[in-house]
Amino acid sequence: MTTIVEARGLTKRYRGITAVDGVDFQLARNTITGLLGRNGAGKTTLMHLLTGQEFATHGSITIAGESPVENPRVLQHTCFIKESQRYPDDFKPKHVFAAAPGFFPNWDADFARELAAELRLPVDRRIKKLSRGQLSSVGIIVGLASRAPITIFDEPYLGLDAIARQAFYDRLLADYAAHPRTIILSTHLIDEVADLLEHALVIDNGRILIDSPVDALRAHAATIAGPAAAVEQAVAGLDVIHRERLGGFVSATVAGITEQVTASARAAGLEVGPVSLQQLIIRQTGGSPTEHEEVTR
Amino acid sequence: MIATAPSSIPASEPAVEAPLSLAPRSLATRVGTSVRLLFANPWTPIYTPLLILGIILLMNLAIWGIVRANIPAEGEMAEGVNGGAFFLFVYMLVVAVQSINQAFPLALGYGSTRRDFLLGFGVFALILSVGYAAILATAAWVEESAGGWGIGLQFFSADALWRSDWPQAFGFGVLLMMLFFGIGAATAAVYVRWRALGMYVFWAGLVFLLIGGAALVTLLDAWPQVGEFFVWAGVLGTAAWSLILTAFCALAAWLILRRATPSQG
Repeated sequence: MTTIVEARGLTKRYRGITAVDGVDFQLARNTITGLLGRNGAGKTTLMHLLTGQEFATHGSITIAGESPVENPRVLQHTCFIKESQRYPDDFKPKHVFAAAPGFFPNWDADFARELAAELRLPVDRRIKKLSRGQLSSVGIIVGLASRAPITIFDEPYLGLDAIARQAFYDRLLADYAAHPRTIILSTHLIDEVADLLEHALVIDNGRILIDSPVDALRAHAATIAGPAAAVEQAVAGLDVIHRERLGGFVSATVAGITEQVTASARAAGLEVGPVSLQQLIIRQTGGSPTEHEEVTR
Repeated sequence: MIATAPSSIPASEPAVEAPLSLAPRSLATRVGTSVRLLFANPWTPIYTPLLILGIILLMNLAIWGIVRANIPAEGEMAEGVNGGAFFLFVYMLVVAVQSINQAFPLALGYGSTRRDFLLGFGVFALILSVGYAAILATAAWVEESAGGWGIGLQFFSADALWRSDWPQAFGFGVLLMMLFFGIGAATAAVYVRWRALGMYVFWAGLVFLLIGGAALVTLLDAWPQVGEFFVWAGVLGTAAWSLILTAFCALAAWLILRRATPSQG
């Protein structure tokens, strides 16, 4: 594993609001990382710091060991697609695709055309007149066809229907397999992308809550369901992060599950099931509303 | 309806990863990329203004032709002063504002540095300034040679300067055009960095400076000297002095955008 991105004590403050608060993490090269968290958790700020668009208040973030700020040596490898990306008023998608190869040496024009057809993007219409979903398609096409060694998607699918999103996920995965690269996908549609992700970075209130391979996260937790008494007996002494009650039945979400617990629960006639990544993250981030919602927009 | 991702990640084991190449692409390539972005839709900086120029020229020719045809006494209105071509300068100021305001954030997202983008903008501005100055100077020369398109219209050559020799008119055009690009870029940079608040402070400050400057000159009773300066410098000289203002604008735009971030404001 080669580390490609590294943050150390990374902090970003805006007029008294701490958007990113002393964050430390590393990202492995050529993996797909999910940057997950609520709105205003600090995801966008983190990605702006990573691409040198924001300046850190304290600490550092590096790409291949170098600060990205005004550094063409590393920035030439990045492509940052954000939900709120503005385009020049007079641009049509074809103008974006015409300008892109200069920025991205690995740009694949055929791939971009193919994607535009698949996502039914009218490339000859003013971007200002595009629907929200079509606007998202422009970003997705650039992000995929750029084949940038470090590709960052910040909520790239806004307004896209399920079919288009599925097409994005399928294309992303297939192209990633053919052309491995480091992909950071920021989203709150966690369950949709759960199977794409190799690594999860969960951020809340500017702090990293979870920094773990997705497999380990999943293996780590399970739901145990059945009659209340039997469930309580099975989970006694375990870390129950969530409990749902329906009449005499209980479904408990348990962290730190072991083979033994699973086996004995099954033996007791209880149902042991996987926890979705989304459930797990919701449980772990709790329901507390964030104070600085929308700060990063 | 919930879309779900395919359930397996293809096992791709890259044999030996080549490390990320940190050899930078040449400055020319990077700057050229920004230039290409700014010219990506050639309608805005080139075709549309030329089209407008052509249309208003034709309209002026038509109107002036009618006027001339209805003036019985020859020589009564020997010259039709006009100067409609001046809109090009204001148009380019708007192009500069839009380029900085809209293309800048896009270029940053695509991995450009602020510096490379601004250098690209400088090249873009220079190319357009040279191109339009050449067109205006040539058109003025043709107009002059053809006796105002045969009907005494001075569309391109309203000012005596444009009627002087071609190199002078060309130089004047480049300088003036660059000044407009500079003012547009610096103003837009203030907006990109500080948004609406920056605009209030900027315009208030500018008005304050202009009025303050005028008051100072009045107080010192120095208007004659100011007038003398312009007489002494001449039109071309004044245009050359504008280089200082242009350079100041360019420097200001650079210093302001150097620390501009997408979430500021």
